[in-house]
Formats: sequence, structure tokens, C-alpha cells
Amino acid sequence: MERLTPQAIIDSFSKELGDGFVSGSVYEREVAVKKNKFRSLWVEVKKSAFRNAVEHICRLQEYPHLAIISSSDLGAEVELIYHFTIYYGHHLEELSLGLRVKLPKSDLRIPTITDLIPGALFTERETQEMMGVEVVGIPDKRRLFLSEDFPEGAYPWRKDEKGPPSDILRILPGREQK
Amino acid sequence: MIQEETKKATYTIPVGPIHPALKEPIRLALTVDGEEIVDVDVFVGQVHRGIEWLGMNRNNPIQSIYLAERICGICNICHPFSFVMAVEQATGITPPPRAEYIRTITAEMERIHSHLLWAGVAAHEIGFDTIFYLAWRVREEIMDLIEYVTGNRVTKAMFQIGGVRRDITEEQFPRIRQSLDYYKSIFAQLKKVFLDDITIRMRTRNVGILKREDALKLLTVGPSGRASGVPKDVRQDQPYAGYADLDIKAITPDIVTGTVVGDVYDRIIVRLLEVKQSIEIIEQCLEKMPPGPILAQPKTAVLLKTLTKAEGEGVGRAEAPRGEVVHYVRMEAGQSTLATWKVRAPTYVNLMAVPTILKGMQIADVPITFASLDPCMSCTNRVVITDRAAGRKSVMDYEELHRLSVEKTKEMQR
Amino acid sequence: MSLKAFKRALWVYHLNTGSCNGCDIEILAVLTPRYDAERFGIKLVGSPRHADVLLVTGPVVKQMVPRVERIYEQTPDPKLVMVVGNCGTEGGVFYESYSLAGPIDQIIPVDVYVPGCPPRPEAIIHGVVMAWVKLEKLAKQEVA
Repeated sequence: MERLTPQAIIDSFSKELGDGFVSGSVYEREVAVKKNKFRSLWVEVKKSAFRNAVEHICRLQEYPHLAIISSSDLGAEVELIYHFTIYYGHHLEELSLGLRVKLPKSDLRIPTITDLIPGALFTERETQEMMGVEVVGIPDKRRLFLSEDFPEGAYPWRKDEKGPPSDILRILPGREQK
Repeated sequence: MIQEETKKATYTIPVGPIHPALKEPIRLALTVDGEEIVDVDVFVGQVHRGIEWLGMNRNNPIQSIYLAERICGICNICHPFSFVMAVEQATGITPPPRAEYIRTITAEMERIHSHLLWAGVAAHEIGFDTIFYLAWRVREEIMDLIEYVTGNRVTKAMFQIGGVRRDITEEQFPRIRQSLDYYKSIFAQLKKVFLDDITIRMRTRNVGILKREDALKLLTVGPSGRASGVPKDVRQDQPYAGYADLDIKAITPDIVTGTVVGDVYDRIIVRLLEVKQSIEIIEQCLEKMPPGPILAQPKTAVLLKTLTKAEGEGVGRAEAPRGEVVHYVRMEAGQSTLATWKVRAPTYVNLMAVPTILKGMQIADVPITFASLDPCMSCTNRVVITDRAAGRKSVMDYEELHRLSVEKTKEMQR
Repeated sequence: MSLKAFKRALWVYHLNTGSCNGCDIEILAVLTPRYDAERFGIKLVGSPRHADVLLVTGPVVKQMVPRVERIYEQTPDPKLVMVVGNCGTEGGVFYESYSLAGPIDQIIPVDVYVPGCPPRPEAIIHGVVMAWVKLEKLAKQEVA
């Protein structure tokens, strides 16, 4: 398959997604003595174009590697970043690609991508239980890490009132809560 | 319907940011038909300590390095490694080249110790304890070297944002080379023991096969993925630190055997050859080590101030002994803790391959097959068997056990 | 039951309650040729029902609480509980997490603590020796 340059990849996203494309940037850093380039890409898309964007990544690389979904509570919205890597298997050619999508807190839903990448299951389950983002169409809805007696409706990574209730934190004798 | 079902309440894995290794709690539910496994379900969370939450709510980034170190007692170079790389990317701090080389050397020492540890555990899982003891005796040499270089056997505390905390000086080189020579001298013997031994070959050839396509779909990383013929290695693909100056090639089993089967034997080959590769990498690093400082900012208070002011995000990716470790960090100005911290440990994704590699195997192959991914299921003897056809339970199944334990917890809370 | 039976070989059951493995690999290192604790008759067994000593590591994750209690009950009397590592002793770096119920002495009674993150193999052996000393004292009291 033809390998595109980082900038060409961003352009291809913008062409493919049209209105759904929000922004894209390339990060470059020189490493160690020989100053080889360490490159990563960041692409932000609208929620409506999210599935298209993942399908586009699947066209860039057969079996893209999805490392993890990271999620941040930004106050009014929740930001999900799907950390992909493409063009792996060759010296110095791999690129990290962070696909960013923001969800308003009033509608925390995102379609599943397990049909495109079966290995996305664990991280989607984790995002669901930790951030309270509903993954629509996920084949396995159970919790992954939290125990079953963890309160419903509380999500550890949230920074608003839905964060973990303070009475379940383990404060040791003689110590104060920070 | 004459079908037997085995439910297996055993012990192994995950941590908030998950981690694999020895004697960690995990639970597998195996459905078997006679001796053959027809379905597997994996339950994790028994070691979830909420590390990411602590990093986002309690610690400043420098304190979080030590928290990252304690994600796993075995990969405690790789986690801080990728954590500091993520923070450096977010804040724009560049570590000096000498520090990059020292980081590389310690990471490779860790790989040697981890692969030898795994080799011992794998031998133990097939009941070959002689080799278990042999591997662990051989491993003590690298533990001594790690202690000599970093000051501690297990948690090394080498990393600092923008560099490393300890230098490796010229006077230390002969001692390091001595250990490497020791491993080179016994490597042929180790290779013979693990690859030519008939017992090991019988128990591992064509066991727990993970096809290339499945490995790609299930995102399998590290030696487990490479043994299935996926040449994915961060050190090769997107080299970081000292690796960027070296020409590293991902190791796949066809180097030795000419073909890729993707079974347990292939995983042994990959790990064994990686020990040799690590020795070569350390030697090259010692040769090429550039002079200069080891810290971008030696004053911790100044560094902490920069970190508090910093705003940005970064991704750190490092190749741990078990596969790729990814840390994502987002920092907000004026906030002393990290705004977001997400950790992806290799076993997180490798676990998804467990059902695939176990299906069609016999129960007796479960320990070695599971261990071949390099998590470890040591408590295989704690199996609960239920016979669905007869409706008879020899021991309690998990649901019942769990219901009782929930009841008891509630009772104790009163 | 008499404590005299305890004097010879101590059989140890290792229980991980959410540890990072640092302590666990050091415990294994104690049993392997370099430190070779087996020469003192200390042996790792696969079931708590065979054990004299419970070697507990980890800060006790909530999911593990019922299991820790259960394993403690399954171990026959007389028994000793030894905690290895800082996080089992007092929470270590993990204190204040939403997911913890420990440290271990909040859940089951503990006899010997081995601090360190992780403790060196020598320290773990020393801990076992201290456990022995404690047992001898108890045995004397029993006789008296």
C-alpha cells in the first residue's frame, strides 16, 4: 500500500470527511544523537464523522493498531482520543495517530468500532465504566475493572459530581485527604 | 445435551492500568466439552488499584513517576520510561543524549531479566522445575548488574522528567561488560536447553496457536505478536531514546525455523533471541555513549514549577518486555496534578487473544498456553468444576461464590 | 493443636491481593538457587489448606477482600500471617485510592511485617526467621 506523508494524511482526512473534519496537526521531535524524527499526528473530527474517520484509517492501513482510548473530562464535554498507530513493521516509518472526538455531556454516546477492530473491545468497556460514555452497539456491556459493588452512576475519571464518592476513598488512619 | 462445563476460578492479572506477571489475580471461565475447551471468558479487575486516578488527583507529575514504577514490579523501567516521554512531549523538555542512552541500557537490562524470569515460569508451568531453577539462577547475574548500575534490584527509580537520576560512568563499563560476556558464554547452552529439549518441544509445538490475522485483529503486541509473524516493535518502528541511533530489527521466529507457526514454541524462540538482541544493544550503547549532562533541569523545585505551568499533551510509547506500553498525558496550566493520565500496558491487549489461543486446547495445556503470553496463571490448581449435564456441582461455581462473598461483605459493613 | 509441630519445615502459601509483582518476584527469588530458602525447609505450597504461613502481598483491592478472608479461614490453625512489602503494611504509594480496602492488618490479623518496596530477599528471609522466633516464644508459653 502507498505510504503517505504526515501532511498528506491530514489532507486526506479533510478531503474524506469534509465538514466532519475539525483540525489536524503534526508533531515532530528529534531523538538522541542521530536526530532521527519521532512523529505523531493529531486529528480532530466531529462526532458525526467519527465512524467515517475510523473507516478511513482502516483504508490507510490494513489492520490499524488501536493502542487505547484515552478520555478527559473537560468540564462541559468529554474528550476521547483514539490512539492509533499505522505503517508499523518498518524501521522509522510508523506514525502515531491520535483521533480526537469531543462529546457534549448531555449526549455521551459514541458508536462502537469493534466491528472494524475487534480488539477495541476492552478499551471500549473501560471507557464505558470509567468515564460514563455509552458505547452504542458494544457486544459486551459488562464492567471490566471495577467491582460489582462500585456504585452505579459514579465514574472514577470524571471530575464533576459523578466522580468517585469521597466516602469510598481509602484514607489511612493519621492521614488527611488531599 | 451431553456437554461438560468447567468453570475456573483462578488467579492472575490486571491493575488499573493493567499488569501482567507472576501470581497475579485474574479469573478465566473455561467452558469445556470433555477435555476440549470450547469457550473462554476473561475477568479482570482483581488488581485494579486506581493508579491513573491517583495520578490525576493526588500526585504531582514527579511523584507520579514513582507511581508509574509501581504499576508493575517487573516492567518498572518501561512504565516510567514511557511516562516521562509523554510528559516531556507535553512540556517540550528535551532530555540530554547521554540520558537517552542510559535509559536505553536500563530498559534492555530489564528485558533480559524479564525474559529469563518468563523462561523459568514457563518451564515451571509444564512441570520442568529443573529448568525453572536453572533460568532463575542465571537471572541472578542480571539482577546483580541491575543493582550495581541502579542501586536496587527491583524498583530502580532511575527516571526523572528530562533525564535520569544516576549516571553510568566509564569505571562501571568493565563490570557491565563482564555480565554481558557471561550471558554470551552461556547463550548457546540456554538455546540448546530451550529449543532442542524434547520435553519442551513436545509440550509447546503446535500448542496455543495464534494466527497472524488473529494477532492483527486482536491487536496482540510484543513477543506474542511477533511470534505470530507481526514484525511490530516500537524500538524498530518508531524508535525512541537511544534506539533511534541503532538499527534494530524485530525478531520473528522464522529467523530460526524458517516458518512462522505462532505457537508457544515460537514465543520461546522470540524471547530467547531477544535476550541476545538486548545484550547487543547494551554493548552498542556502551560504545556509542555520548558525554554530557544527564538531566535537562537538575533542580527539582524549578522542574516542578515548569511542570505546573506547562500546558499540552503527549504520548509516550516504549517497548516493554511484554510489548508496547503507551502512556497518554494531558497537562493543564496551574494544575499541580496531571489533567489526564491513561496507561496501556501490553497485557491489556494481549489478554484479548486468550480465548482464541485456548479454544480447542486441552485443560492440561491451559497453564503453558496462558503463560506463553507472559501473564502468569500460577494457581491453576484452584479450579472449580461443574458438570452441566448432570447439574452436579463438585465445588461452588463462581456466581454462587460471588453471591456469598457479596453478602458477607455487606454483612460485615453493617 | 500444639505449636511444636511448627518447629520444623514451614510451608508457605503466597497470596497476592493486588500487588505490583515486585514483592512477588522477590519471594520467588528467595526460593530459587541463589537464596535457596528451601534448605531451611521453607516451601511454597499451592493450597492454603497445606500452609503454616500466609505470605501476603499487595494493598488489598476491594474485589479481593472476601477472598483474603476466605483464604485466611481455609488455612489450618496454628497459622502465621506475614506481610511482605510497604503497600501491604500501610498502603504504600496506593493509599487514598477508591479501589482499596487495605492495608492487610485491617482485614486479617498479621504477625510479621517486612517493609520495603520491595524488600530484598535477605529481608524476606529475616522476616521468616522473626516469625520462627515468635513461634518459639509462643510455644514456650504454651508449655508453661
